[in-house]
Amino acid sequence: MVRLSDLHDEEAAHLLARAEAMAPVAAAPWVHPKPLAESTVAIVSTAGLHRRSDPPFQAGAVDYRILPGDVDFADVMLSHISTNFDRSAFQQDPNISFPADRLREMADAGEIGGVSDWHYSFMGAQPNHEALRDTGEEVGRLLAAGGVDVALLIPV
Amino acid sequence: MATTSISLVREQSEAVNPPRALWVPFALGRPLGSAADPGFQTDVLRAAFAILETAESPTIVDYLVDAPMEAGPEAWACPVNLPVADDPSHTGRLLAEVARLRPWAAETRTVRGRTIFGVTGAGADQVDEVARALGGIADTGDLEAVPPGDVDWAFDMPLLVRHLAEDLRTFYHEAVAAQPGPNAPNHAALNDWIFGGTALGDTLQQVGHHLTAADDFILTMVRGLTIPEGRYDDPRDDADHWAAGSGV
Repeated sequence: MVRLSDLHDEEAAHLLARAEAMAPVAAAPWVHPKPLAESTVAIVSTAGLHRRSDPPFQAGAVDYRILPGDVDFADVMLSHISTNFDRSAFQQDPNISFPADRLREMADAGEIGGVSDWHYSFMGAQPNHEALRDTGEEVGRLLAAGGVDVALLIPV
Repeated sequence: MATTSISLVREQSEAVNPPRALWVPFALGRPLGSAADPGFQTDVLRAAFAILETAESPTIVDYLVDAPMEAGPEAWACPVNLPVADDPSHTGRLLAEVARLRPWAAETRTVRGRTIFGVTGAGADQVDEVARALGGIADTGDLEAVPPGDVDWAFDMPLLVRHLAEDLRTFYHEAVAAQPGPNAPNHAALNDWIFGGTALGDTLQQVGHHLTAADDFILTMVRGLTIPEGRYDDPRDDADHWAAGSGV
């Protein structure tokens, strides 16, 4: 397990300083979701994922990449800039941070209504959340236009 | 549209106050806890989705189930002896080490049917090109020139340095993944191995020294993106070194 107390002192201090600099998201009308078994789910990752043919994420990137709902894991790359997290698990099993297989299984079992045709990935380690406003809202519009009911946000 | 999320750093989720978050006690890089463990991953997802059905205001739920542990430094050691070459250059030692690990990495790629090596722009079979590029930077200290070779690098210098290091770490991790042994090593065990005497670890330290000696904000930042926290052997920590007149 890892809590801040389990990390290297400098990394823990860095993450805590980031937390202290973060502001709450703006209040918005509370959304009462549809029943999960009727909901289409999309993944929004901040792991810096993209297809091999896509340009990798550059330092300070605020743009995003699209990943098809049926993407082949052999085509998925990770160009997140941080060196302080464990990539070996993703190498072994991309579902560890991009659970496309798990969502398909849950859809087949009727636990969720379906899986979005598209998933989205940003690169995390972005200290200025406001910098992501434009592309974040753009992805929000794309998710809504794609009939997504639930966005599953997953860090790395 | 509703959101639910996984939280790895609870303090950050508390600060941001998202509508729904499931805080998990897992290592960074493992937000669903356990690789190749569909049952465990699905349980985590179910817990994240369950918040959709219960929360009426911003909510953080704690997921108090620890993931199965990978082998730590005390329980894992690479069975292949490295380094393997008595070569005066970092490039030479690195290439020899890569050659020693190549069959194991190839086995892992065959079994998995994929690799995430190549984020630098190198092809899956251009590990030597990446090793020459990083080794060359260590040997020459040149942090400006684009490394030679038949690769269309995806990054400019100096950020390319960071991704050369990552591609080689990926290759090394692939190599150990195929070797016999009861447990997969965790992040600390892999770092202990790489920075505990491999040619790659020595090369990264030398590149780190070049990035540090430049006394430049961007290059210092690149060092932080190249070598994990706590792994850089900073010569400035040696009081005698600085007393001798480094000037910083």
